[in-house]
Amino acid sequence: MKILVLNSGSSSVKFQVIETDLERIENAQDLTLAVGQIEKIGMSDSRLVISVPGKKPYQTYREVLEHRAAINWAMRTLTDPEVGVLKDVHEIEAVGHRMVHGGEAFASSVLITPDVVHQIEECSVLAPLHNPPNLRGYFAANSALPEVPHVAVFDTAFHQTMPAHSFLYGLPFRLYKKHHIRKYGFHGTSHRYVAFRASQVLNRDLKDLQLITIHLGNGASVAAIDHGKSIDTSMGFTPLEGLLMGTRTGDMDPAIIPWLMAMEELTLHQVNTMMNKHSGLYGVSGVSPDMREIEEARASGHERADIAFKMFSYRIRKYIGAYAASLGGVDAVVFTGGIGEHSTEVRRLALENMAWMGLILDTERNEANQGGEGFVSTEESPVKALVVPTNEERTIARDVVRVLNGVMPTFEPPDSIS
Amino acid sequence: MNWELHDVAIIGGGMMGRSIATTVAREGLNVCLKEVSMEAVTASREEMERSLSHEIARFGLTESEKKAILSRIRWVTQFDCTAECDLAIEAIQEDFELKSKILVELDRRMAREHPIVINTSTLSITELAAKTTQPERILGMHFLYPVTTTRVVEVVRGQVTNDKAFDRALDFARLLGKVPIKVFEMPGFVTTRVVLPLVNEAMHVVMEGVAEAPEVDLALKLGFDFRTGPLEWADRVGLDRVLNWMKHMHHESGEPRFRPCPLLKRLVRAGLLGAKTGQGFFKYDENRRRLDRLKDDRPGLT
Repeated sequence: MKILVLNSGSSSVKFQVIETDLERIENAQDLTLAVGQIEKIGMSDSRLVISVPGKKPYQTYREVLEHRAAINWAMRTLTDPEVGVLKDVHEIEAVGHRMVHGGEAFASSVLITPDVVHQIEECSVLAPLHNPPNLRGYFAANSALPEVPHVAVFDTAFHQTMPAHSFLYGLPFRLYKKHHIRKYGFHGTSHRYVAFRASQVLNRDLKDLQLITIHLGNGASVAAIDHGKSIDTSMGFTPLEGLLMGTRTGDMDPAIIPWLMAMEELTLHQVNTMMNKHSGLYGVSGVSPDMREIEEARASGHERADIAFKMFSYRIRKYIGAYAASLGGVDAVVFTGGIGEHSTEVRRLALENMAWMGLILDTERNEANQGGEGFVSTEESPVKALVVPTNEERTIARDVVRVLNGVMPTFEPPDSIS
Repeated sequence: MNWELHDVAIIGGGMMGRSIATTVAREGLNVCLKEVSMEAVTASREEMERSLSHEIARFGLTESEKKAILSRIRWVTQFDCTAECDLAIEAIQEDFELKSKILVELDRRMAREHPIVINTSTLSITELAAKTTQPERILGMHFLYPVTTTRVVEVVRGQVTNDKAFDRALDFARLLGKVPIKVFEMPGFVTTRVVLPLVNEAMHVVMEGVAEAPEVDLALKLGFDFRTGPLEWADRVGLDRVLNWMKHMHHESGEPRFRPCPLLKRLVRAGLLGAKTGQGFFKYDENRRRLDRLKDDRPGLT
């Protein structure tokens, strides 16, 4: 079936049309028919780009002031005989929506009903920048395609299997009850996709494997996946925790925050932006949040770019060690995301001298892999290391199929605490 | 919100106009900012770039956000662009004659029912509105400096302001992330009326020699959890402006509590206008950082 996948941000909408069904999922034969994006929604020079395999990529500009107009524009482009891929919008049989935060309410992908919309709205307090535009995208798509089913796929759902001892913070317990302060984890669709794909590459059942999946993009996170279930992940209550990222701090002593607020007389807004937009690779190096530019600067002898690079790689290494212990053994370490797929040097620093835990990096294979699926550990290495390009849109399309066929798994929490 | 709000006209590129323009553009709206001459445009633009860079250094903004903000602001010297705007705010100095001239220009060009906002802390909305053909769409909004970080704005209803214009102004305030406080027209509204006697009294205390200015400020700051003491606040607003408000409030209300402290008058006559001139009650460097803070007037963790 043809599925429209939407990822709606505050000023952008990313869309794909994917053809898939249960059989295609089993054989990894999902087809991506079109990939597109609308940027600068709310401005007079909004841009739409679309690329359809076999056709020349196409871009165009016009004024698009809100999501409804953006979705309609995407529909018209998809059905355009010149640049599009559909004869009629009714070829779309279902729509999958990326939703950032499902809180504790959603441990699975679900068919969107008025009740589900209400629950997603309630989760908005946890993701005020993301959930509202995700929902605006849904409302717009639902008015354009009211007859087909719409499915919500949450970034957080996959990590709902974490046990309480890993998701709770050491704060007074009543704050968990009152404000839902806990680790939620993000990038769930990516960790899930690459774990599943890794099991296919390893030719093993996901339920027999202990995996560490490492997603390194603009945001970055690690997950410990025990027999198919996430038992821990490095992002927390928000996507700020864990690894060093392009502009985010990752882990740090929380006492630094009130200290800096007092000494620098920073407002809440300033300290928040400092940690989210002025830190990480960019903040430490002063060069760029982009790993490629960090690597170039480092190669030309830039000292702080070198330190930022080493911090980035070291934190990944530290989490691999921690999660190997959490899992009590590892079958494979999986790299994905823009940096994970393309930076051979990050992978080298994170994985070299790991023979103690049975992981032997194959430096030649690693150098040779500049993106694309494949092993980077040696043939004999008891613990495998591999690269698996992520595909979150495909996971969303697959979940639509699974929900509609009644075979969507639930990532049930192991225990509930009163 | 059930009305279209994309383009905002701001008249006056001074401290207040720039600050409002920055906040509006930051929320993704287009701004058309009118100044009196090309020289004034250049000066205003340079000042804005400086304060945006300062905010980047304080981590409140990124380089790309600064670029986006500046790209949404169109600087003009004529009123023409106001015809396409959904809302207009005047933000020139507190001068009745000048403000009423601007209102007439805006009233002539702007589409019917599009609200026209007067940014004032002391002038009469009703009296200014009476100069126009549609006084019911005219109202006041009193933004407090610095507009980018102060969360409150007083939305002022004049005698004939209608609900439509008033509600739109409330929407506009919310859109800017401000908390609107609804007030009826009365000189000084809430904030100015209450703060001026406090500031005036602090000045009297200094003049009478009860305590030194830095200690008066620190006592009030620590005692009542003020972000800045009242004397430093006055320095930062500009002592000439504070004096102007007090004179006006005194004139309007006849209340002796608004009679400007002679020390304030003396400082203004001496050209010691506060942070902008480098000295008022306290001393400041060219970046408006205060130079003569007491040792105890430092941030602490306790």
